[in-house]
Amino acid sequence: MNKCGYIILLGLAALPFRGSRMAYTTTPFTPEYPAYFGNRINIPANNPLTREGVYLGRLLFYETRLSAGNKISCGSCHQQRLAFTDGKTFSTGVDQVPTDRNAMSLANLLWVRNFFWDGRAGSLEQQVLTPLTAPHEMGQSLETSAQKLKHSTLYPGLFRAAFGNDSISGQQIIQALAQFERTLISAGAPYDRYLAGQYQPDAAAMNGMQLFMRAPDPEKNIRGANCAHCHGGPKLFIETFHNNGLDSLPADPGREKLTGLAADRGRFRVPTLRNIALTAPYMHDGRFRTLQEVLDHYSDHIINSAALSPVLRNTSNEAGGTALKLSSSEKKDIIAFLQLLTDSAFISNPQFSNPFN
Amino acid sequence: MTHKLITFITTAVLFTSAVQAQTGISVEGEVSRPLKLTAADIGRMKNVEVTAADRDGKEHRYSGVPVYEILQQAGVTLGAQLRGENMSKYLLVKSGDGYEVLFSLPELDSTFASRVIILADKMDGQPLPAGKGPFRIVVPGEKKPARWIWEVRSMTVRFAKE
Repeated sequence: MNKCGYIILLGLAALPFRGSRMAYTTTPFTPEYPAYFGNRINIPANNPLTREGVYLGRLLFYETRLSAGNKISCGSCHQQRLAFTDGKTFSTGVDQVPTDRNAMSLANLLWVRNFFWDGRAGSLEQQVLTPLTAPHEMGQSLETSAQKLKHSTLYPGLFRAAFGNDSISGQQIIQALAQFERTLISAGAPYDRYLAGQYQPDAAAMNGMQLFMRAPDPEKNIRGANCAHCHGGPKLFIETFHNNGLDSLPADPGREKLTGLAADRGRFRVPTLRNIALTAPYMHDGRFRTLQEVLDHYSDHIINSAALSPVLRNTSNEAGGTALKLSSSEKKDIIAFLQLLTDSAFISNPQFSNPFN
Repeated sequence: MTHKLITFITTAVLFTSAVQAQTGISVEGEVSRPLKLTAADIGRMKNVEVTAADRDGKEHRYSGVPVYEILQQAGVTLGAQLRGENMSKYLLVKSGDGYEVLFSLPELDSTFASRVIILADKMDGQPLPAGKGPFRIVVPGEKKPARWIWEVRSMTVRFAKE
């Protein structure tokens, strides 16, 4: 049976519950992930993961009726084949006006505590509200979205199965989307097989991995790129915010806009590097088209300013140097290591794909 | 024209207020007196000096306030009160960059520990270097300075729940 038929069948299966007084039951959904990711996961007590909620969330993620004029869905700017990014510098919403910042990957959000590039949202439920309603993104109020879904044949039964009541509310839309996004776990890259002792990277990638993990110490003849200081651990990010030396006077103030503190100028979230080879262009403003450009930046073009991260000051492979100064072959090796973070199972997982295709 | 002027003034006022925002330190959680400490408040507290080696391996003189003093001011269960269930409390220190490090209360309490962990504001008599101030935790004798968290913005005392 094709997928569309399957969805209609599910919708029909939910029909008998319409208006019935039967107590509704949901099936808990337990996310699966390697122990090395740790259990500091974030699921609000009032929105536990359920099979029904996650399935509804997946449909809503790809539902164009959640946008003004039914033009786009979450999946338009967060495409699975690109690890849930869109390959653009800035995305365009329903009115074709570009967004302020580059669309972020949605991998492993279960471990994220501060959402958006500036970390201004404390939960996925809070975050989801912005792209749904912002005029330059999906541009539609939650009330309108709820009304549209109420009048569909597909959704009322699915909402009842997930939330147990007859009304479709904006809050339920948000909760279902957040549930689905929490299941987008990427832990099947060659790097994971390496961590499990099942894969041996080639010499270039191994050298790149060592450079990635180590801080340089020219006095002890240790070469390094110190990437792991911020992108360390198996999740390939530590949830911190840094000014990474892109500009002396940033056009986008980053976290300073939230706190009013000069120390937060040009500070943005450290994103995960999982699937990084798929998520170009890079940085909050998508200024770098390739990983080579990113490596060139960190190696040779860090711009000093009062808010520049101390981690990026005077970290060098040259004694007394102020720039990292990696050789071109070292940069190539690091990029070879970064390729090991591409999770082909994640970008082809049918549980995450567009059910309307 | 008037509209432009108003926009200009509003922008200028917003910008100035943004520039004037000061980094303070909040002390919260399992405390009897939550604090919002300014640099001036911290300057008035008991000042001590410790000698310790940073990541560069060289010894430096750090001066500042014992963390113990700050926690006492906030009414944290220390000294004679640090027993029973209070032994499962911890202090989480958070940096402006989001980094977090944890200390158990006995590590910070002078009736338990002989080393004094301080909130430093000076290194070798000078303000802390760019990006690391205005306040940084210094843990004398710790071989790896990963808990020497810089740009301290908050200190939270909590119970370990499990």
